[in-house]
Amino acid sequence: MSLDPGLRRALTGYGLLAAASLGLPLLTRDTYYIDVATTILMNLVLTMSLRLEVSTGQLNMAHISFVGIGAYASTLLVMRGGYSFWLTLPLAGLVAAAFALPIGSLALRVSGPYYFLITFAFSEVVRLVFNNFFVEWFGGPSGLVQIPKPDPLRLAGRELTFVGKVELYHLMCVILLLAAAVLVRLDYSRFGLLGNAIRQSDLLAETLGVWVFRYRLVAFVVGSFMAGLAGAFFAHSHQVLHASDVGLEPMVLLVVFTVIGGTGSVWGPVVGTVVLTIVSEFMREFHYYENLLYGLVLILMMLLFPEGLISLPGRLARFLRRGRPAESQAMGVGVAS
Amino acid sequence: MPIELLIQALLNGFALALVYVLVALGLTLIFSILEIINFAHGEFYMLGGYATYFAFAVFGLPYVPTLGLAIVAVGLGGMVAERLIFRSLRGKALNAFIVSLGLLWVLQSAAQLSFGVLDKSVPRAFSGIIRAGGIIISVERFVVMLAAAGLIAVLYLFLQWSRVGRAMRAVAQDADGAALQGVNIEFISMLGFAIGCALAGAAGGLLAPVFAVSPAMGALPVVKAFIIIIVGGMGSLPGAVLGGLLLGTVEGIGALFFGSAAVNILGFLMVILVLLVRPRGLFGVA
Repeated sequence: MSLDPGLRRALTGYGLLAAASLGLPLLTRDTYYIDVATTILMNLVLTMSLRLEVSTGQLNMAHISFVGIGAYASTLLVMRGGYSFWLTLPLAGLVAAAFALPIGSLALRVSGPYYFLITFAFSEVVRLVFNNFFVEWFGGPSGLVQIPKPDPLRLAGRELTFVGKVELYHLMCVILLLAAAVLVRLDYSRFGLLGNAIRQSDLLAETLGVWVFRYRLVAFVVGSFMAGLAGAFFAHSHQVLHASDVGLEPMVLLVVFTVIGGTGSVWGPVVGTVVLTIVSEFMREFHYYENLLYGLVLILMMLLFPEGLISLPGRLARFLRRGRPAESQAMGVGVAS
Repeated sequence: MPIELLIQALLNGFALALVYVLVALGLTLIFSILEIINFAHGEFYMLGGYATYFAFAVFGLPYVPTLGLAIVAVGLGGMVAERLIFRSLRGKALNAFIVSLGLLWVLQSAAQLSFGVLDKSVPRAFSGIIRAGGIIISVERFVVMLAAAGLIAVLYLFLQWSRVGRAMRAVAQDADGAALQGVNIEFISMLGFAIGCALAGAAGGLLAPVFAVSPAMGALPVVKAFIIIIVGGMGSLPGAVLGGLLLGTVEGIGALFFGSAAVNILGFLMVILVLLVRPRGLFGVA
């Protein structure tokens, strides 16, 4: 039976992702590697879901705010409400999605650079609220500390604990693989096709009968749900939560990972996140020059591979076939469209 | 509340707001010509601050030529940046976002490595205060306000009446159309980028004696500039001035009533409100 090439690519990619992430603890139990890998997996949930939103042509700078909303919601439900982490994890996603629905409906009324800036303004408002307001709930500038780790889970007569780094890594693995399954499935569907159409020309898509606003809103809410899940994991694995965790800096990193990887494919953010995390770990060697070099790498990568790292194999193949580089088609998604 | 207190609060807000308008005008000029948002804009402001520090505080040049030097030096820096990296990014907003972030990190850490992370204080260029009725303003702030207003006026006249300025507006309206009329787009983008950066440099030079100079000093004015151009409308000069004055008013009065912690959030709430009610900004064109 021959598979549709798109489906085959989706399945292969997903298989590779699952094998790599599940296989890592078999190769090493070194806590440093496990730590870095856990961060990568968490960021993958965030960049892959951000890409879902970018794939409808708009860059949401408030993605990190929904991580924060999920993180604070889960933390407060566990610490104040006494609920189990296994209940608050999905709740964190739902709370984030519940906030995303009205916020997205308002923000998506504008587009291009205005959308970028309204979501940025929103994310700053969220950060400032966590930092300066409702101090008895959100802990003010000193944040929330001593957040409990996920409680043990009884499954088929065995008790699973989530205290060690490897155990937390496995939990993150499961969250990522569930989220990725949804995102890859969405990408390989009518939804993914319409997203692409909207990104290439939202006006044209609209004239062909695509309800652009609704697609963008669905992407926004689904993306925010996943951000909320990642936020809950973040809070309970780090055990410390601070307003700066949901500020501009981590948000900017997510965008960098996503765009350097390439927004044209669902696998772009995966490549970008993994490559850039490894690059920045190596750059720690250079201490003071770390940021300087990282900045240079970003500039060069973007100028040399404007469609992202994910476009490299395709460009290489075209180069080998024709003996010369193919005219690169700009796929830059418009902040300004 | 006595009316003097209100006017005093407004005046305090306006002096800084006008300087932030300079930063905002640079951003919006670059945006309208190259269709990209330059996130490293605050770093050009920072370079203007350091140019002023070295020329004025270290080498002892008088303040006015120092300011001219800062403007020219940062403008040239902007020209180089446009030639080397931004030229190929016209209209590719997402790519330009990443590249300008990279530039931000490069410039900021280059400044840290060469000038150190600590604040450098620049001596006052002007001392004394002016009294008018019950209102007091330092000569320094008054000069800063006048200089910023003067630069804004010069920019307005340049864009409105000079041949090159009109070509710039033509490119902002429609780059292809302008090219068909014989406008040299490459030259105009380079010049526009340079002028935009020079304005940021001027702002840095004006505020260097007011605040201290440090590698991270560019972050705050850029955020203010974003608020200003959103409220005023992207690509509009009168809009930016109005947006700046509005921000100054809201912040000045907000600080009076709610304390300085709430002031930051007020600016962003204003942005959200304006975008929802009038997405193009007060003076923006579609």
